[in-house]
Amino acid sequence: MKKFSLLLLFVGLHAFAQKELPNLQLPNLDGKTVSLKSDFSEKDKLYIFSFWATWCTPCIQELDEMNDLKEAWQKEVNFEIVAVSTDDSRTQKRVKPLVNGKGWEFSIILDTNQDFKRYLSIVNIPYTIVVKNQQIVHIQNGYVPGNEKELLEKLKTL
Amino acid sequence: MKKILLCLGIFCSVSIVAQEKENDKLNFFGGLESNSQWYLNDKDLGVQHPVNPIRSNNYLFANLRYKGWTAGLQAESYEEEALLNYNPRYDKTDVATYFIRYKNEIVDLTAGYFYEQFGSGLLMRQWEDRQLGINNALRGGRLIFTPVKWFKMKGVYGRQRTGFDVANSDIYGADVEFGLSDIFKMQTTELSVGGSYVARDEKILVPNPYYSNRTDAYAGRINFAHSGYYASAEYNYKMPDAVIEKKEEVKNTFVKPGNALLVNMGYSKKGFGIDATFRRMENMSFYSERAANKNQFNDRIMNFLPSLTKQQHYNLANIYVYQAQPGVNLADNTVLKAGEIGGQIDFFYNFKKGSVLGGKYGTKLALNYSDWHALGGDFYLPKKDYNTDYFGFGKRMFTEYNIEINKKWSDKWQSAFSYINQNYNSKLIEETFGEVKTNVLAAEATYKLKATRSIRLVGEHLWADADKKNWASATAEFNINSMFSVYTSDMYNYGNDDPDLRNHYYNVGGAFRKNSTRIAVNYGRQRGGLVCVGGVCRFVPESSGISLSLNTTF
Repeated sequence: MKKFSLLLLFVGLHAFAQKELPNLQLPNLDGKTVSLKSDFSEKDKLYIFSFWATWCTPCIQELDEMNDLKEAWQKEVNFEIVAVSTDDSRTQKRVKPLVNGKGWEFSIILDTNQDFKRYLSIVNIPYTIVVKNQQIVHIQNGYVPGNEKELLEKLKTL
Repeated sequence: MKKILLCLGIFCSVSIVAQEKENDKLNFFGGLESNSQWYLNDKDLGVQHPVNPIRSNNYLFANLRYKGWTAGLQAESYEEEALLNYNPRYDKTDVATYFIRYKNEIVDLTAGYFYEQFGSGLLMRQWEDRQLGINNALRGGRLIFTPVKWFKMKGVYGRQRTGFDVANSDIYGADVEFGLSDIFKMQTTELSVGGSYVARDEKILVPNPYYSNRTDAYAGRINFAHSGYYASAEYNYKMPDAVIEKKEEVKNTFVKPGNALLVNMGYSKKGFGIDATFRRMENMSFYSERAANKNQFNDRIMNFLPSLTKQQHYNLANIYVYQAQPGVNLADNTVLKAGEIGGQIDFFYNFKKGSVLGGKYGTKLALNYSDWHALGGDFYLPKKDYNTDYFGFGKRMFTEYNIEINKKWSDKWQSAFSYINQNYNSKLIEETFGEVKTNVLAAEATYKLKATRSIRLVGEHLWADADKKNWASATAEFNINSMFSVYTSDMYNYGNDDPDLRNHYYNVGGAFRKNSTRIAVNYGRQRGGLVCVGGVCRFVPESSGISLSLNTTF
C-alpha cells in the first residue's frame, strides 16, 4: 500500500496538467475511419463526445434527450454531438439498427476494443466530455434526467 | 518496488526534458479507481465474513504524452486481499502494466503491455474488465502499419498477463485488412475483407504428444454495407490441439481442431431496424496455457467468446444468464458438449410522434429473440471422440424472447416496460442439474420534479418453475440534484421451496459525482451467482457488507 501511496503522491504533483484529445483513429458507422485529431478540429467549435452502449439505459435516455433538443440548442451555440459506442463485439452489431431505429441524428463512432475509453480512464458510462480546440474543457460523469439542460447552459460559458 | 522507481524515473526525466521547451505541450493524464468492501457477518443470510474482512481493489493509470509519444503505467493494489472471488494471482501491490507508444498517421508502435483485437475477437482479444478481474494484455511489441487509406496491417508478439506476472507461452499474431470500397472507389457501398493469424507456442509436458507445441489459428472476414443493408461474416479455424475437459487436465488422447463461424446481417432506416446473427462454435476455447482452460477466473483467456443474447439491465433478468459454450465436455451420455450453435434476432421500431401509438413524444419498441443449442453430431463414449454435423442442432441450452417498450408521456413522465421469457438448461450450461423456465415482468417510471431532481421507481417479478422459484424486486432512486443520488432496493426470493432460504437481498446507498469524480457507498447484501459484463461472467459468493467505490480522472 505504501508503494501505491507513493504513486498517488506523484500524481498529485502533476494534477494541473491540461488534457488533450488522443490521436486515435476509430471507425464510424459507415465503416469509414475517423481521426479524433483531424476530424474534430474546427476552431472554437464545441464537440460533445458522449460515451454510451446499446445496453446502457441512462446513456440512451441522455442521447434521446439530446437528440430532441439538439436543433434548438444549435441556434445558440456552435456544437456537434458525437456518440461514442463502447459496445464490444457482443453488442456492436446492434448499434446500427438501434441508432437508425431511434432516428438519432449525430455521428457515431465505434470504440470496439475501448481504446478511447481506456485512454480517458472512464470507469462508468454514461460519460460525457466537451472538447474545444482539441482540449477537454468539461467532463460529466454519469447522467440524471435534466443533466442535458445543464450541459447546454455550460456550453454557453465554454 | 524496483519497477515503480524505474517507471517514476522515466516519468520524471520525460517531464523535465519536455518542460524545457514551452512550445511543445506535455500532457500528463490518467485515472484512479478504488473499490473497497467491508464484509460483515450475516446470520440470517448464513454468511460469515472472510478472515480479512476489509478488502480493496485499486487501480491507478498514469500516462505522459509528448508529441507522438505516450508512456504509461498501471499500478494495482489488492490490500489486504482482493475482493471476494477475484483471481488469487491479484495479490498485494505492484506495477501491473506499462508501455511506451509512438504513433503517427502511418505507424503505431508499442513496446510493453498492449490491448489488441483481431476481427470480432474470436481468436484473439486483449481487454480489461475490472469488475470481472480480467486483464489479459500482452507484454511484448505491436506494430500497426497504415501506409494507405485502404490497407492496414498489424503484427503482435507477446506473453500474456496473468496476475502480476505473465503466462508461460509465446503469442504471435498478424492481421491485414483491405478496404475494397476505397480501392475500387465505390461511393455508396462499403466493402472490406480481412484475415488474421494467431499462434500460441507453449511447451508440451506430456511425452510423445499427438499435437504440437505451437497451435496455429487462422481467420478470414468480410464486411459489406449498401444503403440500409449490411452483412458481415467471419470464419475461424484452430488447428488440432489437446481437448481440455477439466481444468489442469491436459491429456494426450483427445486431440481435436476447432472452428467458428459468425454471420450477421441487417437492415435499418430511420425509425426501423432489424438485425440477425448466427454463430456456430466448435472446440474454440483458447488459453495462453492449455492447463488454464476452464478456470473460473477467465485467467489467461486469449479470445473473446461472449454469449450472443440481449444484455438485460433488470435485476431479476440477470439471474439466469446464458454463458457461451465454446468448449468440449463429454461427461456422460446426458452431457455431450462440443460447442454451441444458434443465433439471435433484434427488431427496433419507433412509433412516430403524433401517430396513434406514438403520442406526443413517440414510443420506442425493441424485440429480441435468441436460441442456443449444443452442437449436434455423433459422440463416442467412453472412447472420447465426436463428429459434429455442421448445422446440427443438439439439445437446447437457452432460449429467450423479450419485448421492451419505452414511452415518454410528458416533459415530466417517462416509463419503460419489459417482458422476458427464458428457458435455461442448467444441466448443460453449468453442468449441474435441471432446467428452469422463467417469465420476468418489469416496469419502471421516472418522474422529473424539477431541473435535475427526479424519482425513478422499478418493480420486477420473476416466475420460475424450478431452482429458487419466484422472486420479487423493487428499486427506488432519488436524484436530489446533478451531484447527489440515493437509492434503495430489495430482491426477495419469496418463492423458495426452503423457507430458510427465502432471503431478502436489500441494498441502500448513495452516490456523489462532480466533473470526472464519482464516489458511491452501499450497504447491503450481494446475491450469490454470476456477475456478467459483456457476456462474460464471474462467479461471486453471497456476502453482506459495506462498500465504497471511487473513481476519478486527472
